[in-house]
Formats: sequence, C-alpha cells, structure tokens
Amino acid sequence: MKRNLVIISSLLLGALYASTACAQQTGLAPDQNPRYQESQDRYLMVADSLTSQQGTTVQDTYKAYDWYEAKLERRAQRRNWRHEERMNNSYYSDFYPSLSFGSSYYPYGGYYGGRNNLWFGW
Amino acid sequence: MKLNKLLTVTALAASGMMIVSCSSRQVTRVNTDETIDISGSWNNSDSRMAAEELTKNILSASWISNHQEDHQGKKPVVIVGFVQNKSHEHIDAETFVKDIESSFIQTQKVRLVQGGKKREELRAEKADQQLNSSTSTIKKFGLENGADYILQGSINSIVDAHKRQKVVYYQVNLELTNIQTNEVVWIGEKKIAKYVKN
Repeated sequence: MKRNLVIISSLLLGALYASTACAQQTGLAPDQNPRYQESQDRYLMVADSLTSQQGTTVQDTYKAYDWYEAKLERRAQRRNWRHEERMNNSYYSDFYPSLSFGSSYYPYGGYYGGRNNLWFGW
Repeated sequence: MKLNKLLTVTALAASGMMIVSCSSRQVTRVNTDETIDISGSWNNSDSRMAAEELTKNILSASWISNHQEDHQGKKPVVIVGFVQNKSHEHIDAETFVKDIESSFIQTQKVRLVQGGKKREELRAEKADQQLNSSTSTIKKFGLENGADYILQGSINSIVDAHKRQKVVYYQVNLELTNIQTNEVVWIGEKKIAKYVKN
C-alpha cells in the first residue's frame, strides 16, 4: 500500500513537471532563446535610466590642440597673472579706488586700503 | 565729503552707460539658408547640410520597402535614441535630428514614437488622467506603439592646426537598428571639412 502511494505520487509529480516544461516551451517564439527571461529581468531593472537620454545629445567632447588658440590663451593667462600681481602688490594697492563709502565691512577705504586714495582725496 | 563721493560715482556710472549706448551694434535678419562663417566652428549651415543629406538618404534607402514587404505593408515605427557628440566642440544634434523627424511625418513614410523625457511626461499625464479625467476621456496604459527601429548617432571631429591655419573635419553618423534583431538596416553619414585661416 505504501509502495503504491509512493509510485502514484512520483508519477503525479513527474506529470506536473512535464506539463510545466511543456507550457514553458510553448511560450517561446520560434528560435527564441529559452533563457530570455534572465536578460529581460536584468534590463527591466535599468530600463528607465538607460532610456532617459533618448532624443538628446550626450556631450562627450575633447579639447583639440590649436596652436593659435593656445597662444591667445597663454597671452590672456599672462595678462591675468600680471593683473593679480599688481592687485596684491602693496605699492599699487593704495591707488585703487574704493566704493565702500566707509560704512561697509571694510570701513576705512575698502579692501585695498585707501588711506592714500587719490580719487577721493584721502 | 559723502556727497562729493556720491557725485563722482554717479558721474562715472552715467559716462559708462553713455559709452555702452553709443557702441554701434547692428543686427540684421538673414536667410537661414545663407552661409555665414564667422569663427569656423560648427554653425547653422553645417547643421542644415547634415540634415539635408541625412534626410535624403534615410527616406530613399531600401529599409522602408524591406520593412513593408516583411510586415504586410505596414509603415515602420521609429524611436530616436541619443546622439553622442565626441567632437571638440559643443554641438547639439537636435537641430538636424528634428529636421529628419519632421521629414518622417511630412512624407508619411515612417511613423514616429516619443522617447526619453517626453515619453516620461506622457506617461505622467496618463497617470494623472487616471485620477482626474472623466471616465470617458481617460487614456489607458499599455496601448503605446512599440518602435520597430531606433535611430542613434555620433559626431566625431579631427583638428589639424598649425600657427594660424587649421583644418577641421566633422563626421556625423546616424544609424538605424532593428530593435528586435539588433540588425543595422541603414547608416547615413555627412562629412564636412573646413579650412580656417586666422
């Protein structure tokens, strides 16, 4: 009796497995990879982020070396350095005008001093 | 003393404004088909040339008739993917890709579906309708047209410069791929070379 029960249940399980496998087979399109579900699950998770830039231009530019533009850039940089040097030089700094009117954070002639400010006669 | 300073600053500001207003800026409307090269960089003429060439090629290529043969005469549905600008300049491909999209609709040879942020907005609107619209006017989820092909592209450049001379070469590539099979069914390209002397 017990042996019969085991045989019947194993037959039932076998039939269930076979029917499931058959159903899965029929769900596939002709020549479709049977593991397509793995790939589908993987891309379902990231589809939103991967399609967010559709219809746009992704800027992945590089800086091309241009002899003439590099020369102009060097010149501009030198000018900028000289200007900053002058600004930090205490000899010149007192000659720059102040627009603070004595009531701001730098009350006596602004950030660049101003005690000898020629513009306002200080 | 304070009044003196105030007057000086006002005078300076007024003279500055006068100088600005006296500068001779002149603006003239020009025809968008006219080629005006100023700096030698990518400009509207390049975009227009790319659009004309690529539109002509994509609409006359055999992929449309091949698709219709395989799908009982149905028109192909295309979605526009992204274009990667790998050149040395900031170039927005939308200026010529929009011309191509427009030609799809005007010629009625190809159907177009929205993608990216605009599609997100459409879905958000649909979601909003589920709560706020009258039942007879609600648009349902799950009835979008699935695209058959995706249009993708790239822009590349080569710069050869020495002293005051420069040759810039641009290559714009667009390709159309079958989404089901990943088969590339069309590739279009536009090459532009410029000689610039400073």
